[in-house]
Amino acid sequence: MENVIEQIHEAALEELKAASDIDALTALTVKYMGRKGRITLYLRNISTLPPEIRPRAGQQANRIKEELSRLIEEARTGIERNLAESDVGIDVSAPGRPRNCGSLHPITQVTWEICDIFTRLGFSIAEGPEVEKDYYNFEALNFPKDHPARDMQDTFFVSDDIVLRTHTSPMQARVMEKHEPPLRIIAPGKVYRCDSDITHTPMFHQVEGLLVDENTSFGELKGTLTTFVHQLFDERISLRFRPSFFPFTEPSAEVDILCVMCRGEGCRICSGSGWLEVLGSGMVHPNVLENVGYDTSRFRGFAFGIGVERVAMLKYQIDDIRKYFENDVRFLRQF
Amino acid sequence: MKVSVSWLKEYVPVEMDIYRLVDALTMVGLEVDSVVDRYASLDTVLAGRITAVSPHPAADRLKICDVDIGDRSIRVVCGAPNAKEGLISAAALPGTEMPDGTLLEKTVVRGEISEGMLCSQGELALGPDFSGIMELGNAVIPGTPVTRALNLSDNVLDIDLTPNRADCLSFIGIAREVAAIQGSALKYPVIEFPRKPVGDIFSKTSVQIESPDHCPRYAARLVEGVTISASPFWLQDRLRSVGLKPINNIVDVTNFVMMETGQPLHAFDFDQLQENRIIVRTARDREPFTTLDGKEYVLNAGMLMICDGKKPVALAGVMGGLNSQIETATSRVLIESACFSPVSIRKTSKKLGIYTDASHRFERGVDPRGTLTAVNRAAQLMVEVAGGELTAGIIDENPGKCERKRIPLSVDATNRLLGTRLNQGEIKTLLESIEFSASCDGNDGLSVLAPSFRVDVEKAVDLMEEVARLYGYNQIPTTFPHITPGGTLSSPALNFRNIIKRTMRGLGFTEAVNYSFISADASVRLGLPDGDARHQAVKILNPLTDDQAVMRTVLIPGLLLDMDRNLSKQANYLKLFEIGKVFLQKEENRLPEEIEMMAGLWTGDRFDPSWHDKGTPCDFYDLKGVLEGLFNTLKIPNLKFTKLPPDKCSYTRPGHSAAISVNGKEIGLIGEVHPQVLKNFDLKQAAFIFELNLELLLPLAPDAIKAKPLPKYPSVSRDLTLIIDNTLETHAILEKISAIDEKLVESIQLFDIFEGKPVPQGKKSISFRIIYRSETRTLADDEVNGIHKTIADRVIAFSNADLPA
Repeated sequence: MENVIEQIHEAALEELKAASDIDALTALTVKYMGRKGRITLYLRNISTLPPEIRPRAGQQANRIKEELSRLIEEARTGIERNLAESDVGIDVSAPGRPRNCGSLHPITQVTWEICDIFTRLGFSIAEGPEVEKDYYNFEALNFPKDHPARDMQDTFFVSDDIVLRTHTSPMQARVMEKHEPPLRIIAPGKVYRCDSDITHTPMFHQVEGLLVDENTSFGELKGTLTTFVHQLFDERISLRFRPSFFPFTEPSAEVDILCVMCRGEGCRICSGSGWLEVLGSGMVHPNVLENVGYDTSRFRGFAFGIGVERVAMLKYQIDDIRKYFENDVRFLRQF
Repeated sequence: MKVSVSWLKEYVPVEMDIYRLVDALTMVGLEVDSVVDRYASLDTVLAGRITAVSPHPAADRLKICDVDIGDRSIRVVCGAPNAKEGLISAAALPGTEMPDGTLLEKTVVRGEISEGMLCSQGELALGPDFSGIMELGNAVIPGTPVTRALNLSDNVLDIDLTPNRADCLSFIGIAREVAAIQGSALKYPVIEFPRKPVGDIFSKTSVQIESPDHCPRYAARLVEGVTISASPFWLQDRLRSVGLKPINNIVDVTNFVMMETGQPLHAFDFDQLQENRIIVRTARDREPFTTLDGKEYVLNAGMLMICDGKKPVALAGVMGGLNSQIETATSRVLIESACFSPVSIRKTSKKLGIYTDASHRFERGVDPRGTLTAVNRAAQLMVEVAGGELTAGIIDENPGKCERKRIPLSVDATNRLLGTRLNQGEIKTLLESIEFSASCDGNDGLSVLAPSFRVDVEKAVDLMEEVARLYGYNQIPTTFPHITPGGTLSSPALNFRNIIKRTMRGLGFTEAVNYSFISADASVRLGLPDGDARHQAVKILNPLTDDQAVMRTVLIPGLLLDMDRNLSKQANYLKLFEIGKVFLQKEENRLPEEIEMMAGLWTGDRFDPSWHDKGTPCDFYDLKGVLEGLFNTLKIPNLKFTKLPPDKCSYTRPGHSAAISVNGKEIGLIGEVHPQVLKNFDLKQAAFIFELNLELLLPLAPDAIKAKPLPKYPSVSRDLTLIIDNTLETHAILEKISAIDEKLVESIQLFDIFEGKPVPQGKKSISFRIIYRSETRTLADDEVNGIHKTIADRVIAFSNADLPA
């Protein structure tokens, strides 16, 4: 009787050795350990054995069954692993299903960057009309009628008293009329000048800035704008403040940065000067403060205006300003 | 303003090299745009030795010269009497731009090739002599550029002057700044008349100012017996160095003195002035006048004129008249040196469109005290270069009497504005360096008198600016403002737009920015009906092109034009959006209404090109899904799309467009572009568009988000399929189901719409999944089945639906 189980055991091991796929293993399991499997039947018949050998025969049979179960499981794992390993799989190099984001206009991105820097410095944001009264665009800003300073900004007219704003500076007067000092604002937006060539488009974008407080100074203007330029471009970039003229500021200063292309050697981008103009600024002219009823014996201010297209040109090395408004997706998708 | 450095040296020793000079001028506020070597155009004029001279076979007076120019020899036809073997002269090679503006080329002269030109001094504008070719002397090596051989060099600066610095529209003005920078002295020209003036001007002429507001000062001198001719070389050379054309000796003197002093002058032929006198008055309306360039103008009342006893002879401060200009026969010259009102000159110049060196200076303001100096300087030079006798006496009508006031300047206020620590003495020295007179007034104050040529200086702050620029902006310490919590202003609208932009980017859209102006017919091309408010565009009086004639009243045309431009570059899969203002003219001569709008456009495929999709075209639901996604992000619920009646929107395709509303308020529209509009914009591909009024949308966004607890009990779902008329909108059914007040219904989803067999013609099958959930317990099947049946029965009843077979 012990021989019987040994024979079954040996036969099972033989067959296991020959079993090369999952189906064969399944058949093997059924053949030996299924409901009518040979080991199952053997165990069921143990009660017919003489009582003295029953325990040992039972233990042996159970041990063989456990061992066989384990070996079959091992064989199954092995075959499955082999199967998985031998699967040639998919072409992982083929492109995935596109899930592309779009893109935001470079002007939007640069405007955000500029606004972020100034909001970190405690400035708030204000907005205003693009079709503007002559009063806000010029007169409130100390540009008298029939003054040559008006030629600095080629103006689109809607009527004698209404223009397309030539700069974001009207926001200075509009904000100060409504709010008491001290204040710190920036005002981004579109502006218009009738000028069109490789460096000018009839519409462009500016960010205006205005700080009015009791004890501000030209030194603070320099500090604020130096911080701004360093954050926008590079901590190490050199900049200079150059005397200039705007009717609504005095003293007035243009801010130049060392040419980002040639590092001051002189090139086509900086017209050989080594410097690039990035913004205009100055101490708010007392006439402007008086026009809005501020007490000029107590309050002073500084203001600045940044050309967004200009900054974007330098940041992204864009060579033709007209590209901004052609909306060629091959251009826009680069940002 | 062009400044020749060699001319500048007449008034100030220039101790800096050219790079330092350019930088120093720029940093005191006189920005140097460019520096040009005045003789650079003569780089291709080389010293050449004539090695052989032979007669020209076809012309007696011409010779053929072989000229050694160093690295080779050229053959030149020459007519100069002094051309002979061995002479070293100046040979201009083809490509040279001659001073008279002609471009030298290789030519054939009477059948003989000439590979250049042997030049006289005059032809090269290097001297007065036209009589023969230049003789450079035997020491010069052939091939050396003539400019080097003669040691010629002059840099000409182009200074971009700001409109406040009228004083620098002159050599003396620029020299004053250079002197201040260097700490050196300014040399004014010495005015000495070569002969003693004779006679008496007051017995010969008079000046009468009828419009003193427009003409505060008018000075005049008379020179008799002049001979009109070309100016001497030095005078022509000075004028040429700054780009002015020599005319004749008298006119050249007026231009020279204007460049030197900044005071525009005019020279009248005295004998052409009727009654030999000058009246300054305003023009009569529609008075005709011919300027000295021969152009005829019709004047307006109010324009300032210089007249003789009978008629106008000059447009004051702008241009002289043809009737009194200096002619070859002129022998008596009346020199005008006047001060005119800047506003008056500017108005006349703008109105007539005449811009001259004189009007440029007058509209910026000339030195009212400079008139006498300038008229004397001109008289001196005229006698020097044109002979004649200066009549004794100066007419100086001075009704304006512009007295300058002293300006008190506080040292402390100056330092506080600038952030500097300058003392009284330092500020005084800085101001005095540019001829301001300053005296100390107590410990803190200065009393400052600005010179009369600084017409821009009126207030203390103007003086502070002078102090700042002379001290040097870059010397001023850089400090930082004390930041106090501020932020009383903020722009929720801007924030909202930024969130929308980010979301649209995430949804695969590319942001476009179009010009705010557009052609006047854009609203017509959109097919907007007569009477539509969007025909009322803000018109620009002076547009650059017809394409930019009016401010846009709707964003869609901009996107359609973008689509056209991109299609022409083979980019035919586009998902674009734009956020910007439209402008509606509500009332004439009032500011228009500006409305912040957003528009989007989708054309081409549904997906980015890839091997996964073989080009499925996009449709209405693609774009609608984008808007639904956007509104989800914005947390604006209750979005509703209602089919637009055909007459509601002219630019979307009837039956394929919808009004968009939230809580019953219409905020925009979506649809396929109308085929006729596609045609009007030359587009050959379907496109889907939407537009949203962001100002109506903004108030709908929630102020704050409040989190809801998550459900504790499982949900149960039941499906419902109905066969209904295919004209019935699914939204109507959904609304009806939602309207059933059943607390256990959590949500309803449409998951299928089907038309075609086995659904009967004219019908469609729609399937909903209703999700049931209780907040307090797990629902039992029986309970759900009961509710679901009730709902189904009611829906079937009101929608007249059948159940599927």
